[in-house]
Amino acid sequence: MEFGSYIRATRERLRAGDRRYSVRQVAQRIGVEPAYLSKIERGEQSPPSEATIRRLAEDLSLDADVLLALAGKVSAEMQAIIRQRPELFAQLLRELRDLPDHAILQLVRVVRDGDW
Amino acid sequence: MITLKNDQLTFSFPEVHAEAVFSLEFERTLRIPDDNRAHFLPPGLGSFPLAHVDDHAARLPPSWRAHGGVFLPMYQAEALWINFNDFGEYPFAVKIAAGKIDAVTGDPWSTKLSDDPQNYVVVPEQPWLDGFCVSKGMIRQFVAMPLGAGFTAEEQLTGAAEHGGLQIIAYPMKAEVYEAMRKARAEEVLFGPDFAMCCEAPCPSPPQKEMGLAPGGLMRQSIYDDPYGLDAWDLKHASRCFVHILNSLQYAAATGHNPPTRPPSAADYTRAGLPWFAYYGAESAALEGSAKLAGMDSVAAKTIKQGLPPLPENEPVTPKVVIPIGTGDRVREAEF
Repeated sequence: MEFGSYIRATRERLRAGDRRYSVRQVAQRIGVEPAYLSKIERGEQSPPSEATIRRLAEDLSLDADVLLALAGKVSAEMQAIIRQRPELFAQLLRELRDLPDHAILQLVRVVRDGDW
Repeated sequence: MITLKNDQLTFSFPEVHAEAVFSLEFERTLRIPDDNRAHFLPPGLGSFPLAHVDDHAARLPPSWRAHGGVFLPMYQAEALWINFNDFGEYPFAVKIAAGKIDAVTGDPWSTKLSDDPQNYVVVPEQPWLDGFCVSKGMIRQFVAMPLGAGFTAEEQLTGAAEHGGLQIIAYPMKAEVYEAMRKARAEEVLFGPDFAMCCEAPCPSPPQKEMGLAPGGLMRQSIYDDPYGLDAWDLKHASRCFVHILNSLQYAAATGHNPPTRPPSAADYTRAGLPWFAYYGAESAALEGSAKLAGMDSVAAKTIKQGLPPLPENEPVTPKVVIPIGTGDRVREAEF
């Protein structure tokens, strides 16, 4: 699903039960112009900055990492983690890419044996 | 493969058999009075926190990094016991050493299994191990003391304060032996005259120096004879782990966390009417115990010999409540 249509669908669903989820009120709470948010929802505008996406995720009770992924962004936090050990994490992600969800739900940590 | 999760070490051998899994944890407990009287089993007061050495390597001595493994915190003169949790019926031969002194025989550490004398315990037949096997049906409790003060088993038996901690190696049963045993048991369940008996009775089936374990008070506990024999164990597959013991300050410096609070004294615990335990589990024969281990001075005796003030919190106790437990109910947890 596209970022804009996902935001719109979520907001409209919330608005059905709570009028505070109008475009105008959501835009006001996250600190953008209503017209800007409306364009984003219609796909006429690129997704906003990471900070705005995080505020939007919080306002709509969505997972920020999922929203960032839909927006084609990698969070600054994730970038920092990968930059610290790029080879290791690149290799790890490639190895995990094709595994089914149930296989990667748990990280198995082996106790290292040494020289004694 | 050994993994650490929720303060439990899980030993698994998927390359041997899908059911070849068991775990162990280190239980916090009372230090029983070190007064040469035989005491009942003290309770478990929750498990010690365990951490990977690798996660705190920058704050630990290089030699510990070389050892790998895990570490846990203990106060001076605090006691522990090892709780073996079986996930099923798969048997293991487990060797345990403190400061590289075999806790069953008193011999120097080696990875080899021996049956003369037997230098390992058999899990799940052995539900727990509380200390050094000093005589038949009797152990001396594992009590943490700083290396270098002369109390630990390794110092008493080798004269050196070198290793500390605990060393553990586990061997699974050979898969074909297990399968044959399981088949025999299934046939016994289907056709045997006394299924109920079989189920209830044990079927033959950057600190400077770390802490070490010294012999404490006497406790009634048997180390059981191997009912399967040496040939049953798969000596081609083994997993081993070095368990370092840090004192509370060292632990806080390494991890940034405080260790658990000190356990109550045996006297306070008993006065509160809380239970001790007596295990009437197995009909298996018990090992005779080690003369080497029996020859060690207990912490209290060593304290007197060294002219130090008497061991604190060492009042005699007379338990008001002793809960009998058997093989089907191996829980040693007090309810608070």
